[in-house]
Amino acid sequence: MPMIERKQVIPGDVIAKGNYRYGSYVEKRGDEFIALRVGLAEVGRDGVKLNPLTGSYLPRADDEVIGKVVDVNGFGWVVDINSCFDGFLPASFVFGREFSPSTHDLSSKFRVGDMIGARIESFERSRDPQLSIRGHGYGKIDSGEIVKISPTKVPRLIGRRGAMINLISEKTGCDVRVGQNGVVVVTGPPEGVAKTVKAVKMVEEEAHAADLMAKVEGFLGGSSSGGS
Amino acid sequence: MSMKKNYVVETIRKAQMVQLLAEGKRMDERALDQLRPLTIETGVIQKANGSARVTLGNTQVIAGVKIATGIPFPDTPDKGILMVNAEILPMSSPYAEPGPPSEEAIELARVVDRGIRESEMVDLGKLGLVPGKTVIAVFVDCNIMNVDGNLFDATSYAVVSALRTAKMKKYVVKDDKAEATEEMVPVPVERTPVSVTLARIGDRLVVDPNTEEEASMDMRITITTDDDGNICASQKGEASTISPAQVLEAADTSIRVGKQIRAQIMESTK
Repeated sequence: MPMIERKQVIPGDVIAKGNYRYGSYVEKRGDEFIALRVGLAEVGRDGVKLNPLTGSYLPRADDEVIGKVVDVNGFGWVVDINSCFDGFLPASFVFGREFSPSTHDLSSKFRVGDMIGARIESFERSRDPQLSIRGHGYGKIDSGEIVKISPTKVPRLIGRRGAMINLISEKTGCDVRVGQNGVVVVTGPPEGVAKTVKAVKMVEEEAHAADLMAKVEGFLGGSSSGGS
Repeated sequence: MSMKKNYVVETIRKAQMVQLLAEGKRMDERALDQLRPLTIETGVIQKANGSARVTLGNTQVIAGVKIATGIPFPDTPDKGILMVNAEILPMSSPYAEPGPPSEEAIELARVVDRGIRESEMVDLGKLGLVPGKTVIAVFVDCNIMNVDGNLFDATSYAVVSALRTAKMKKYVVKDDKAEATEEMVPVPVERTPVSVTLARIGDRLVVDPNTEEEASMDMRITITTDDDGNICASQKGEASTISPAQVLEAADTSIRVGKQIRAQIMESTK
C-alpha cells in the first residue's frame, strides 16, 4: 500500500485484515486486527499502528519519564509516574551492587516529594515498572515549573524530530524537559517560564490542529532567542 | 503492591507556593482569603425532606435530610434529635478506599455536626412531641462526590443549605401519641452557621485550601460563626502549634469571609 491511510477507530473496530506486524493497543484475532482504544489507526510500512487519543500512560521499556517520589522503603523508592502503575526505583540501581539497607540511607538520595528524571528499565504487566537513573541527565530535578499534559499528546509536543519543543525553547529561552508520561518540567527566566507553560498547554489543547507549529510560533511571537 | 495513602506535593512546587505566599499570592491566583467558585443547588434529591449539592472548586458534596419520629435521649426528653453523618465515596478520589470510615471521614462528620449543633441552627426545643417518648429526629447524610480539598466547608454549606430548604410533615399530639398530618412545614431554622477553614503554609494563613495546599500545610483551623459573628465551634488539625495572634487572625478572617458566604447561602436557599 503506497499511501498511508488514517482512520478513526473505537475499541472493537477492525482496522485491517491480512498479515501485518502490529504495535500497542492492537490485538490480533484470526487474521483481523482489532483496536483496543479510541484513536487514529494507520496501516503502513510498520504494519498496523494505533495512536490513542485519550488514556493514561502505559509504561514501555526505555521510555524517559519524569516522576514524583511518593514513598521510600528499605529497598528503594516508589515513584508516581502519572500512570496506573507506580514505578519502583531499586536502591541497588542507585548505590550499586554493594547496597545494603543497614549501611545506606535512602533518604539522603531522594526524599518523598522529590522529582526525578528516570528511564523505564523493564516492565511486564505482572510487576510494577522498574526505573533506573543510570545514564546522562537522569536523577533528581532541583527546580522548575511542573506541567502535566495528557501522555497521548506528548508526541505532538515534541514534534517531528523535536521541532516543536525546539521551537518553544528557542523562542522563550527556557529549557523544556518532556517525560513520555506527560510530565513536563520547564526551567528558565520567570517570564519565559510563564509563556512556555501557556505554549505547552496550547499544544495539548489544540493537538488536533494541522497548522499547530504556525499557531504556536504565532503565539510566541517574533521574540528572538534567549529573551522575554 | 503499593498502597496510596495521601496526596504528595512535589517539593519544588511547595517551595514555589511558599515563595508566592510570602508575596501574598497563591498558585491558582486567588487572594489569601478568597474561596474557589462556590455553587449551591437545592432540592436535588426528590425523595428526601431536603437536599443540596455544593461544589467548591472541584470539591463536590451532596447532603440529604431525612426526618422521622424517634425516641429522645434520656437527658433531653423534650428535645428533638439532630444527627449529621458524612461518607467519603471510594470513587471520589484516588486515595479514598471502601470499607469502614477513615479517621478523616469521622473527623469531617463530627466537625460539621458540631458547627450546626453549637450554633443552635435548628431549634431542637420545637421538635419535641411527647416528652420522654416521641420527638422529631433530623438526620443529615452527606456524600462526598469529589475530593479536591476543604471538605469541611463544602460539607458544612451543603448541610446548612439542605436544612434551610427541608420540609417536614406537621405532627399533632393526641392522647400522648404523635400523629403525622398531610401538612408540610419547614424545619425550625433559627440561624445560619458558616464554617471557614484556614490552612497555614509557611507562616501564612489561606482560606479554602485545595488538595495541593492541604498537602503542604502544617496546621489548619476550622471556625464556625453565626449570623451575629459569634464563634460557635472550632477545630484545629495537623501536628503543628498555632500562636494566639494567629488564632485571632483566623477568627477575624472567618467572621469576615463567613459573612459573604452566608449571604450566598441565604440567596441560594430562599
